[in-house]
Amino acid sequence: MPNRNTAPTTQKIEKISFVKPQELWINESVKLLWMPDVPNETSRIDLYFDAGLRKDRNAIVSICSSLLLSGTKQCSSTEIHNQIDQLGAYFDIGLSHEGVLISIFALKNNIFEAFCLIYDSIQDAIFPDKEIAEKITEKRERFKINSAKVGFTAQRKFQEKIFFNTPYDELVQISDFDNISKKEIVDFHDEWIKNGLYKIAVVGNLDSKEIIKITERCKPSCISSPMTYFKNFCNAAGVFHEEKKSAVQSAIRIGKTMFNKTHDDFFDFSILNTVLGDYFGSRLMKNIREDKGYTYGIGSTLAETGGSGYFIIGSEVGTEHREASLNEIKKEIELLNTQFIDKSELELVKNYLLGQMLKAADGPYAMMDLFLSVDAYSLDMEFYNRYIERIHQIQTEELKSISKKYLQWDSLSIVSAG
Amino acid sequence: MVEFQRYKLKNGLTVLLHQDKTTPMAVVNTLYDVGARDESEQKTGFAHLFEHLMFGGSINISDFDKELQKAGGESNAFTSNDITNYYEIIPAQNIETALWLESDRMLSLAFTEKSLEVQRNVVIEEFKQRYLNQPYGDVWLELRPLAYEKHPYKWATIGKDISHIENATMTDVKSFFKKYYHPSNAILCVSGNFDNSKIRRQIETYFEEIPSALKPERLNPQEPKQKEFKSKSINRDVPANAFYYAFNMGTRKSSDYYLGDIMSDAVGKDSSSVLNISLKKELELVTEINAFITGSLDDGLFVISGKLAEGVSFEQLDDQLWRILNEIKESGIDAEKLIGIKNKISTAKAFQEQGLLNRSINLSFFELLGDANGINEDALIYQKIEAIDLISFAKNTFVKTNCSLLKVCNNAK
Repeated sequence: MPNRNTAPTTQKIEKISFVKPQELWINESVKLLWMPDVPNETSRIDLYFDAGLRKDRNAIVSICSSLLLSGTKQCSSTEIHNQIDQLGAYFDIGLSHEGVLISIFALKNNIFEAFCLIYDSIQDAIFPDKEIAEKITEKRERFKINSAKVGFTAQRKFQEKIFFNTPYDELVQISDFDNISKKEIVDFHDEWIKNGLYKIAVVGNLDSKEIIKITERCKPSCISSPMTYFKNFCNAAGVFHEEKKSAVQSAIRIGKTMFNKTHDDFFDFSILNTVLGDYFGSRLMKNIREDKGYTYGIGSTLAETGGSGYFIIGSEVGTEHREASLNEIKKEIELLNTQFIDKSELELVKNYLLGQMLKAADGPYAMMDLFLSVDAYSLDMEFYNRYIERIHQIQTEELKSISKKYLQWDSLSIVSAG
Repeated sequence: MVEFQRYKLKNGLTVLLHQDKTTPMAVVNTLYDVGARDESEQKTGFAHLFEHLMFGGSINISDFDKELQKAGGESNAFTSNDITNYYEIIPAQNIETALWLESDRMLSLAFTEKSLEVQRNVVIEEFKQRYLNQPYGDVWLELRPLAYEKHPYKWATIGKDISHIENATMTDVKSFFKKYYHPSNAILCVSGNFDNSKIRRQIETYFEEIPSALKPERLNPQEPKQKEFKSKSINRDVPANAFYYAFNMGTRKSSDYYLGDIMSDAVGKDSSSVLNISLKKELELVTEINAFITGSLDDGLFVISGKLAEGVSFEQLDDQLWRILNEIKESGIDAEKLIGIKNKISTAKAFQEQGLLNRSINLSFFELLGDANGINEDALIYQKIEAIDLISFAKNTFVKTNCSLLKVCNNAK
């Protein structure tokens, strides 16, 4: 008969071994990272371009990035996509304020060919008029659908407040799609795609000759001086509401300007953030979902930008629970400012975070992603050893003081829509 | 090749073990052979509500998540029309904690009124978030009862009517548990880095004493063969007119599943698919168009959905869509295209098998289909499909009297 009333004994995670990818420098600013030790046939190549939203009007940037595979002088969009299909390859194009990330997925025997095809098609893109017109219609339709969602409305308002008075606070309007000229897209492409490659990451057991060929092929489009990022953000604090009569739920976004991994308080605030809202048993989930039933989900995150970062709480709650939810969120934050987190809860969060860390380091893809996430701030894998050490050591008093230092209710941008 | 061992405990629980010495993690996956199709029409949404209640404390353990998180683990679950699946992801050295937790809630739940009341509200908010508070959110609530008249697939997992959730009682909850949540109605798959004989002992310790019960009979009304074309229009506050063509097709275990999967990729998966090229790029009738299959265990649906471009009528689309479907019935899919799709399926499969959780869920699901080894045979079935098979699938499926059409019309138009 098992003892069902007492939990089995568990072992704490003390150390995790992190494996660094190989580095091949293409020029003084650009390197290729390579994780060759993959125990199966899969592979991935990531190409990072300095062609993010911060570089120009949102509409231009987003049309450009979504049309990177829309045709060259030699091949139409359909022909390019058919060739990619023949190689059994997939790709993904991600756009953020800081850049464009193109990821190519294929079996290792095909990945080099898929890379050549995709890289060349992107570099030689000619942006046919018909493709531009089609994409604009598609974006306009997508925008109309999104505009009907309270989450979208709240997120836009939040963006305006969190990136207040900086190049990051531009919100795309539907009319922006009316006056886009092909020249603007082509110029943007010339400047930031043809000359904007700033990092390559390869996971997969490729032939090392292929790796060298990738660096050679990419060389002409590499940036020649290091990336720089905007640093001086300061959120506009206050309470902002966008009314939407027909909505049955309200979206809530609450946050403020914070920092990224380079900051001394990053570890402590990350741990505090976990307690508050970053796991299923967090204070916000326990209170607002599991005790009150106001929402299907609520969470908080410390999001990073190249030169800074911000904290955000997000949820969709029944409209009749909006005020009550805001009050409860405020109450939870004030509790962290004034009361010590008790030992057993802190112990739980520490164990949970260590388990998450172990999972995040499981396998070559996860390991590469961990490295990319520190390399973006010129840090290395030692960062994670320090983080694990900090998780083991941090005391409840230190969490209270970090909470008091950063989470004053009046300093937050509090946005709702619905 | 995904290696595994399979055996049954005395109480009827099917156990799958999948050892992977390269990972520091472990996954405990439990699949219960119960989904929304097993609900009565008067009490829909119950399988899903129940999934929420499974986290509300068990007979000896008051806080499931807390104990798991203390051991560095995390968990989640999902419910479909066919199954309910739970998993824990945990550092391998603490795997026993997951077995302790999962076995205790198979033994019995705590059944507290508080948990029921809160989870009713949470599910109602989930209903609002997913189905009500966004354009086209309620499409499946409309399309299911149009396509299915008798079979319980006519309601969505969230339920047919939210009042069913509001009115759920503790008696309902207890009888649902008794009927479906016991060893012979479950498949347990433990995967990751473990010692083989130790894990067998631990599983035996925690699970074997759970009382056995008879696996419930499934007596679902079968959907009669559709005899005529069905169509319905609804008016909603949406930005663009949208269409959903649902064609009846075979079960997950039939060849239809594989043919339908390839066919849906060919006609509507991405920008190089047949319908995207013809209806979006060339004729500019739509701003988006997709095709997919539901892949359900009983007879499923092949769906073609999309949004009309401004000024285009449903009739214009209908004419052109049928013209293309009829062409496919005659000449099938381009040979080169078929090779491309098969290659992409191979790639996708290799990536899926990277993840321990995916392997665990898939092993359990294939075991439910009849044999966990299906995970290793699946790829070959796709590779063997030939152009001629797709033509016969098209001829059987893309028939007007086999189709239900839902039109979502912009209020203003």
